[in-house]
Formats: sequence, C-alpha cells, structure tokens
Amino acid sequence: MVYSLKDLVAIVPELILTFFAFAILLIDLWLPKRAKTVNGLLALFGVVFSFGSAAALYSTHMAAFNNMIIMDKASNFASLVMLLTAFIAIVMSFDFVIREDINLGEYYEVLLFSVVAMQILASTYNLIVMFIAVETLSIGMYILTGFLRNKDESVEGAMKYFILGSFASTFLVLGIGLFYGLFGSTDLNTISKALANASNFYKWIAIVAFLFVFVGFGFKIASFPFHSWTPDVYASAPTPMSAFMSVAPKVAAFLALIRFVAVGLGPIEANWTKVLWIVAVATMTFGNTVALWQKDLKRLLGYSSIAHAGYMLVGITAANALGYGAVLFYLFSYLFMNLGAFAVAEFISRKEDRGTEIENLKGFGYKYPLIGAAMLVFMFCLAGVPPTAGFVGKYYLFSAAVKSHLYWLAVLGVINSAISAYFYLNIVVVMYMRGEQDKAVSVFHSVPVKAVILVSAIFVLFIGIFPNSFLNAALHSIVF
Amino acid sequence: MDMNQLHFPILTLITFLPLVGAVIVAFISEEHEDLIKYITFGFLALDFIVSLPLFFYFDPSTYQMQFVERVPWIQSLGFQYYVGVDGISLFLVLLTTFLTPLAQLSTWKAINKKVKLFNITILLMQTGMLGVFISLDMFLFYVFWELQLIPMYLMIGIWGGPNRVFATMKFFLYTFAGSVLMMVAIMALYFLHHKFTGVYTADMVKLMQSPLPYHLQLWLFLAFFIAFAIKVPMWPFHTWLPWAHVEAPTAGSVLLAGILLKMGTYGFLRFNLPMFPDMTHAFAILIIVLAIIGIFYGAFVAMVQPDIKKLVAYSSVSHLGYSMLGMFALTQSGVEGSIMQMINHGISTGALFLVVGIIYERRHTRLISEYGGLAYLVPVFATFFMIFTLSSIAVPGTNGFIGEFMVLLGAFLAKHIYGILVAFGGIFSATYMLTMYKRVFFNKVTNPKNLGLKDMNLREWLYLVPLVLFVFWIGIYPSTFLSRMRVSVEHLLKQVNRTTVVEKAKQEQALVKTVVVKKG
Repeated sequence: MVYSLKDLVAIVPELILTFFAFAILLIDLWLPKRAKTVNGLLALFGVVFSFGSAAALYSTHMAAFNNMIIMDKASNFASLVMLLTAFIAIVMSFDFVIREDINLGEYYEVLLFSVVAMQILASTYNLIVMFIAVETLSIGMYILTGFLRNKDESVEGAMKYFILGSFASTFLVLGIGLFYGLFGSTDLNTISKALANASNFYKWIAIVAFLFVFVGFGFKIASFPFHSWTPDVYASAPTPMSAFMSVAPKVAAFLALIRFVAVGLGPIEANWTKVLWIVAVATMTFGNTVALWQKDLKRLLGYSSIAHAGYMLVGITAANALGYGAVLFYLFSYLFMNLGAFAVAEFISRKEDRGTEIENLKGFGYKYPLIGAAMLVFMFCLAGVPPTAGFVGKYYLFSAAVKSHLYWLAVLGVINSAISAYFYLNIVVVMYMRGEQDKAVSVFHSVPVKAVILVSAIFVLFIGIFPNSFLNAALHSIVF
Repeated sequence: MDMNQLHFPILTLITFLPLVGAVIVAFISEEHEDLIKYITFGFLALDFIVSLPLFFYFDPSTYQMQFVERVPWIQSLGFQYYVGVDGISLFLVLLTTFLTPLAQLSTWKAINKKVKLFNITILLMQTGMLGVFISLDMFLFYVFWELQLIPMYLMIGIWGGPNRVFATMKFFLYTFAGSVLMMVAIMALYFLHHKFTGVYTADMVKLMQSPLPYHLQLWLFLAFFIAFAIKVPMWPFHTWLPWAHVEAPTAGSVLLAGILLKMGTYGFLRFNLPMFPDMTHAFAILIIVLAIIGIFYGAFVAMVQPDIKKLVAYSSVSHLGYSMLGMFALTQSGVEGSIMQMINHGISTGALFLVVGIIYERRHTRLISEYGGLAYLVPVFATFFMIFTLSSIAVPGTNGFIGEFMVLLGAFLAKHIYGILVAFGGIFSATYMLTMYKRVFFNKVTNPKNLGLKDMNLREWLYLVPLVLFVFWIGIYPSTFLSRMRVSVEHLLKQVNRTTVVEKAKQEQALVKTVVVKKG
C-alpha cells in the first residue's frame, strides 16, 4: 500500500471541512457564551472554502488511495449540492440556536463532520468505504436530531432514529459481507466484472446481497418500507437540522446507490430494476397517501420527503444516464424547494410549543405577502407545477422512465404527483382562502431565515424557467 | 424558413406584456386601489392593441405558422421556445386579448377585497392563457397549460362564493390529474419520434409531419383525449365545471368559459387530429356520440336550474358539444364551424356571465325566482341581455347562428343522422334561454326589492358594447374570420386524412372496383 501525496487532491474539499471542524472544536473552548456565533461563522467559512475547492476541482477525474476514493464530476456535483444545503442550514441556525439555547460549538462541528462523511460516501466505488461513511454520517445525524436535549421529543426522535439506523446498518454490513464472500472484493468494478461471468447460483445470492445492502441505503433515503423514522425525526429535530437531513444525506446516499447499482450490479440490471420498481411505487404512494392526513407542517414535509424519495427512485429504476442525471438534477432542485418550505416552518415555529400546525398558517399569505408568496411557490414546486424547478425535475425523472419503456411507472408517478397536489394546495388554501386570523402568528423575525426563504424561492423559479445549464451539469456528471 | 412577416417578436411581446404589468402592479401600495385598476386595465388594453397587427398582417393564403419565433431553450433535450400562430390559433389569441380587459373592467366594483392581488392574478392568467395558444413546442405548451391553472385556482379560491375552496380544489385536481397523463404522453411521443426519425424534438410542427404507426397511436391519443376532454369539458368529464362557475367571481367565470375551456377544444385540434390521424378516425364516432350527449344533457340540465349562472354554465357544456361535434365530423365546414363556435361561445357566454355579474352586483342573488319584470325597470340592461340571449340561442343574424349552422352542415355532410339529431338541440337551447329570460325580464314586478334597481352605468356600457359589436359582425359578415382560417383547416384535414386506415380503405375500394370491373 503506497499512497502518494497526490492522492490528497481527491479529498481536498473534505480536508478543508475537517480542518474547520477541528478549528471550531478548539476555538470554542476560548469563546465566551455571547460570542458563540463565531462558531457558526467559522462553519460557514469552512463550507464556502470547501465549496470553492470542489468547484475548482469540478472537472477532475481521478482515483486515489488504491481506488478507495475517487473524484469525478458526479462526486463534485453532489458535494456542491450538499455544501449548499449545509450553508443554508447554518444560516437558518444562527437565530435558532440562540433561541433554543443550544448555541454550542458542537452543533456546527458535528454538522461539518457529517458533511465530510457524506462527501466520502458520494466519492467511492468501494462498499467498505461506503459503509464507514454511512456510519459516520449517521452518528452525526443521531446527535443533531437529539440536540434539543431538554426536549423529550427530540431525544425520543434521536433514540428511534439511532435504534432503527443501527438495525439497518447491520443489514448493510451483512450484504457487503455476502458480496465479499462471493467475489472476494468490495470494489464495485471488480464485483461487476465477476458478476458478469458468475453462475446463476452466484447471481441469485448477489440479488440477496443487493437486497441487504439496499436496506441500508433505503433507510438513508427513507424509502418504503424503511421510512418509518422520517416523520418523527423531521418533526422533532431542530428545524434547520430537519431541513438539512431531508436533503444532504439523501444526495450522498442516492449517488452511492446509483454507483452501486449502475456500476456494481450492471450485469443483473434486469433483477434490481424490478425490485426498485416496486419500492419506488410503494414509496411514492405511501408518502403521498399518508401525507394527506397530516396536520403538522413538519410532519407533512416528512411524509412528502418520503414521496420525493420515491420519485427519485423512479429515475434510478429507469437505469439510463438520463435517469441518473435526472436524480442529481432533482436533488439540486429539491434542495431549494424543501429547504425553503422548512424555513417557513422555522419562520412560524415558537419556543413554547411547536407552532408548526398547518392551521397556524391561516391568513399567512396576507400577513406576510412576500414570505407567503414564496411558500406558495414552494408548494406548487413540490407538487410539480410549472414554472418551477419541481416540475422540470419531475419531468426528467419520469421521462427517463418512459425512455426505458417503463410507461406504467411513469403513469403511477404522475398520478402520485396529482395526489400530492391535494395536500400541498391545501396549505395554499389555508394561507389564502380561509380568511384572515385575528390573533397574530407569533413569529421570530429572523432575518437569515427570511433571506433563506426568499432566495430559495427565486432559485426555484429560476431553475424552473432556465433549467438548461443545471441540467447539463447534472447529465454530464454521469460518466461511470 | 420560419415565417415572421413583422420581423419582430410580437407574440412574445403580447404574451409577456401582462407579466410586466403584474410586476409593476406588485410594487404599487395596496392602498392605491384605483391606480392599480387603471394600470391593470391599461396593460390589458395595450395588450389588445399590440395584438391587432396579428389580425392585419396575417397571411390567409398559407397554412404555415406565422409570426414565428424560435429560440433554443433546453438544448440538452431539444426543447425550444418556439411560438407562432396559424389560422386555428389566431382568433383564440385575439379572443384572449379582447376578452380579458373587458372581464377586468367588470371587476372594478365587484372585487373589493385584495384588489391588488386580484389584478396581479388576472395579469398572470393572461400570460398563461396566451402562452398556451402560441406554443409550438410541446414542452413549452405543457408549461403554459399547467401554469394558467395557478391563477384560476387562486381566483376561484380567494374571491369565490361560499363553497369556493371545494370548487377550486375540484377544478385544480380534476384538470391537473387529467393533464399529468398528457405529460407522460408527451414524453412518449418525444422518444418515439426519436426512434423513428432519429431526432429528439418536441417541435409540434415536426411531430405532426410524421405521425406514429397505427398501433402506437392508441394510448397516446387516449392520454391527450382525457386531458382535453376534462378541459372542454365533454360529458361525462364535466362535473367540475358547474361548481367552478358558480363559485368563481364574474371575471373568473368569463375567462373560464371564454378562454380556458377553449384550450381543451384547441388541444384536440392541435394535437389529437394531426398527430394521431388513425385514432381520430377510429374514435370519431365515440366522440361525436359523447358530444351529442353533451349537447342534450347540458340543455336538459340547464332547463331546470334555478340559478341563472348555473344555467349559463350548463349551457356551456351544450355549446361546446357543438364544437366537438363539428370538429370530429372531420369536414371543412364542420371544423371551421367548430372554431367559429369556440369564438362565439367565448363572446356570447362570456357576455352572459358579464350581464349576470351586473345583476348580481346590484342584488346579490342569481336566483331566477327573485326577479321578474326587469324589462320595465332596467330596459337598457334588458336589451343587452336579450342580444346575448339570442346570440346564445343562435338566432340568424347573430354570431351563434354562423357557428352552429356550419357545425350542423359539417355534421350533416359527415352523416345525415348527426345533423338531424343535433338540429333538435337548437330547440332546447331556445327553450331554456327564453324561459329564463321570460321569468327574469317579463311578467309583473313581484319582488319589491327589484324596484330600486339602477340601469347600466358608463363602465358597463363600455365593456358590453364591444361584445355586441362582435355578435353582429360575426353574425352578418363572418368572412372576415372564416377566410383567415380556411387554408389552415384545409391543411389540418389533409393531415387527418393521411391515415393508414383511410388509405387502406381507398385501396380496398379500388380493389373492389377493379374486381367488379373484371367480373362485369
């Protein structure tokens, strides 16, 4: 095993973040309580620098550390999306951590470390590295979920997440073990080559192994039937972290899943597409159907994020470059629509109680015309109505399915988005059509949160109207 | 290659001028309600004036798309910003620019809350509606098609009647669910076109030129059919319409009936007929039967409505049945009549909703039984109402007659029985409209609440007179309009008749003839 110094280039974005995470750990010790916001600023700087380095190295294509880590356009694209998510989540956190009295260095430090793990997860063809990355990022997520340690529900959510998560990880590691036992390697390229020449018996075991590994990934992306933690965790975690969790880990997990099935399991494509077909349909349908009955905005967004994971699985099931590219593009648009909606949830939430019941939004559109209009845009975007990014993203996902002649999958997908229109539009109804509220919605007028909402709305519309360059970037990053 | 006689992006200007207006209005303070109304009306009126060159410079001698603009949009997938009009869409664009300012004028008193938001909504709707009629790229078309749902959804939901939330949700979900299937069909069409020609494009003109093989047309035809049939709405997909109309504010009803429903009929003409000629022939009978059911169903249900607005809403189902019938008769006069019927319906039903709005504004009720003898109290209003009633019944000399007569003629030429059956429809429409008119305007004044009714004011004159003008213009000299659509319709029918079925039938006939000749 010889590593050259050049290998470090492949992990520059990760190194930068790690450096800042450690810096926060150290500097935090000397910071007086009222100056803790410096931690947040440091984290922000780390994210910006890491973003800059990933952007600068965007076209680099290299393998490092004996093919354990690779850097390609896809990993950089994912990195950029995750860093943007982290950036927005940190901005949203500034006022939140002060209000909830959790303005601690660890908050930002854990966040940065989990982003590092996500970046690693997005840039490897090796199952063992994937496993380590999944575990590392999960630990970060567990901690962040339970960060409101004085609130029972936050702790409960973290506990639930932790137990289910560990359970899923055991399947993941079991699956990886099976692959290693079958083909003597955890490298996806090697597995793919061996699988192509393997006997039918080996192929069947590989399918079982695939199912085990998928449990692990399915848990991370919140696909049916491994979704049950999602609404609880999203509803109980600190809102900026719910927002962060609903996007960033999924970006990494989806890309890893794409690499796993597209590169590693190419020879048994006919088998895994069948499995994913069922999972995709079940995930979409479950998420959308249950969301119909939700009364709380954060829980609703939890179920809606399950449904959206289902839409993205449609893109993977299509098993063509357009589909994989569409997943990346969708994640990029999803970042803005979902974070925007979570930011609105943060905008209306209170310290005493959650305050995120949908009924609290009554007359919201008139009380806060600009924020209300932005929320309207997010809702139409999540429902997939033009001219928003959500529409364009769904269009590509489903058209990838049509391209692979999966007509029924596409039809079920669009029917699902028609169902989802009901509950998203219901929020618009509450905001605009039920008259106005006498008592004021008590809100924290957090300027950063407002900025996040408005900027996200602008992006959602901009991507929806001029998707070309973003779509090109996503499509061209798929070169496996 | 692309024809644009003005060498100027006029269609873009027409479409996005209202959007500019919406942005400007958004920056005006809520308190200046009058200013907002004037500016909105100004932009809509300006939009109409700007759209007039379309009429004057339109070249009636070609079926080619005119005033074309083409800009690459999403290059990676071959989608373009590609717009243009031909004889089929020309008048729908003009109808939109003509009707919206009048509708806006009708809201000056009727809409008294959230005035600013309302005017922004109406401006955005204008952009969405125009976009549908000018798009020549399927992706672009779909974007506008769904885009215009949002303002209508808000308009019914915010300024509607007591059941507005239910009505607007039903409206949105019904149309949305119908159109998402069309989205899949558009995708499939896109990939299939690539399979047969090697080109990735959503260019409608190109897609029309090379229709798919017979066996692939069925599902795509059905997907488009459902989307458009809901929009028209054809019986039995019409259930959302009465709700939406009854709850919508007057301007909403005018635009819904006048323009939004035309998107459905326009969609049939633009997509189903030229792109799936085989299925058009195969399904013609079914659609004609549905259309005839719609004509009678609408008329019968209208007869028993106690509410004037609901009556007019059901009459829409009936009138658009004529349009569908003429279209699928697949004869020159039938299709021309169908387009005329779309325009006429926009004018006369739009006008009827406006006059109903006028009386509702004064009395806050639309129940026929609340009125009676109004002709003595408000004679000018009664006259206007009469003109539009006659136009709706299709009395000769009014616009309605031209459309219905041509449709009847076309249907009769296609199959005698269609023409004979539908001729009776006219009797029923006279029955419900005239009965309603009698009960509202004649008899004695029984309800004392009506005694103080004021006759029409200047603003109301302003938005009804242009409509009266068109009622008679089309009724007396329809050539102005027909001459501009003739060549396009001819070309459309040529495309429809280029089917494998028809050709096969012709071949078979020829074969039979030769056999007969040989035997003879």
